[in-house]
Amino acid sequence: MLACRDLTVAYGDIVALRGVDLAVNAGETVALIGANGAGKTTLLQTISGLNKVRSGEMLFKDEPLGPRSSAERVRMGIAHAPEGRRIFPGLTVQENLIVATAAWRRLGKSCEAELGQVFDLFPRLKERRHQLGWSLSGGEQQMLAIGRALMSRPKFLLLDEPSLGLAPRLAEEVYDRVGRISKTGLTILVVEQNTVLALAVANRGYVLETGRVVLAGSADELRRSDRVREAYLGR
Amino acid sequence: MADLIQLLTNGLALGSIYALTAIGFVIVYSATGVVNFAAGQFVMVGTFAGVATLVNAGWPMPVGYIGALVVMALFGALFYLIVYLPLRASPIVTVIIGTVAIGITIQNMALLTFGSWPFPVPSPFDGMMIDLGGTVISAHAIAVVIATGVLILLLWLLMHRTAIGIAMRAVAQDVKVARLMGLRVQWLLAFTWILAAVMAGIAGLMLGPMWFADVNMGDPIALKAFAATVIGGFGSLPGAIAGGFFVGLAEVLGASYVSSAYKDLIAFGVMILFLLFRPQGIFGEKIQDRG
Repeated sequence: MLACRDLTVAYGDIVALRGVDLAVNAGETVALIGANGAGKTTLLQTISGLNKVRSGEMLFKDEPLGPRSSAERVRMGIAHAPEGRRIFPGLTVQENLIVATAAWRRLGKSCEAELGQVFDLFPRLKERRHQLGWSLSGGEQQMLAIGRALMSRPKFLLLDEPSLGLAPRLAEEVYDRVGRISKTGLTILVVEQNTVLALAVANRGYVLETGRVVLAGSADELRRSDRVREAYLGR
Repeated sequence: MADLIQLLTNGLALGSIYALTAIGFVIVYSATGVVNFAAGQFVMVGTFAGVATLVNAGWPMPVGYIGALVVMALFGALFYLIVYLPLRASPIVTVIIGTVAIGITIQNMALLTFGSWPFPVPSPFDGMMIDLGGTVISAHAIAVVIATGVLILLLWLLMHRTAIGIAMRAVAQDVKVARLMGLRVQWLLAFTWILAAVMAGIAGLMLGPMWFADVNMGDPIALKAFAATVIGGFGSLPGAIAGGFFVGLAEVLGASYVSSAYKDLIAFGVMILFLLFRPQGIFGEKIQDRG
């Protein structure tokens, strides 16, 4: 589905990603773990076309992404639930969801089927469908951010720190839904600091440190590796 | 009492013009962050588009109005392409000064084209008066208020009930995430400029018969519309509407009951008081959490 080859991304003089090689196969859920500032968010934003690639290349479904705009990438099937949720505060829950259908919806076409699927996954959103985004709790906002990403009929879902700032019970609830989405066969790349949660839903994972991939393997291998246990699992 | 009804009607009609101009101001500001100091010139161009189609070309009313609004839509698109697009990566102050510069340019182009002599502009209600048992009010003024009410309703429906309107609000709230959701931001911003120009054009066509078409009419309109947005709450659409009507009524009632020399003092005085004591305006910032 996605392949990054020797990818380098920089903000001015500050190099955020150095020669990253990474692949996500169709149907997989892959976790990207690492400390703050390791470059995880930068990688997701680069996949979505928000950052320029300095060198190396990125292929989506074997096609080079090149200089395509974010809007075009969404049309190719890449959806993004950004860090910090970033739902539209002055739009209602339903409007937040409808906005994300721009990639495929033509004038007069309904998106009731897609709305129904999101509401089945997150019944709380259905109850709050006419409330403004800013009035939702953190957990509800995260569910909305994920639901919104699903509205674009994605083939590849990018999740950036879905557990950030959530109470443990809510974070588990969110990951329970991520697991369900993953079971539908959707390909997912999830960035997470909460390594336990991320590795529980993932098939494979990559560990990123200061912009480099330092470790890659199956979720089990990563859970057992000394490096991950010491640095990220605290055991 | 009879006088008062007349004054209220005229105040609301003038307030309609300010409200529509202020709406154009606000939709551009909230979507792009640009305070468009050429907004008054947009209204002036609207009036003169009407002069060109109705007077110079002599087209019949409905065709002339539609023609003038098509001209305004093109004008909005051109403004987006020539002014906003090349400057959008510059600091916002540069863009704002750009709108001042282009405003002056537009004014002088109108002066070259139409001359400095004011033109009378026809209205479909020319000479028609409505008699309310002793009080006579202008049919044009009533029509302006009704048309503005309908426009505000249509604008609300556009912003809340159509995909393009919801997308415009999303872009105004978080442009980066709007891109991530697949919105074609540049098209939506172009549409925003076009919409603002058409609103200003309608204001200009309705204002023409109330004043004269005068190439210098843009500046006072822009100042009043600016005062209206400050009083109503900068960036708020309901605020722009409420502020517009307030400024229009203050001007007309002030001119009659206080002195026509001080008619502007009330509107601008109130604006200064708002800036001092309630800078967020009447409607303030409704959204508490922007991220």
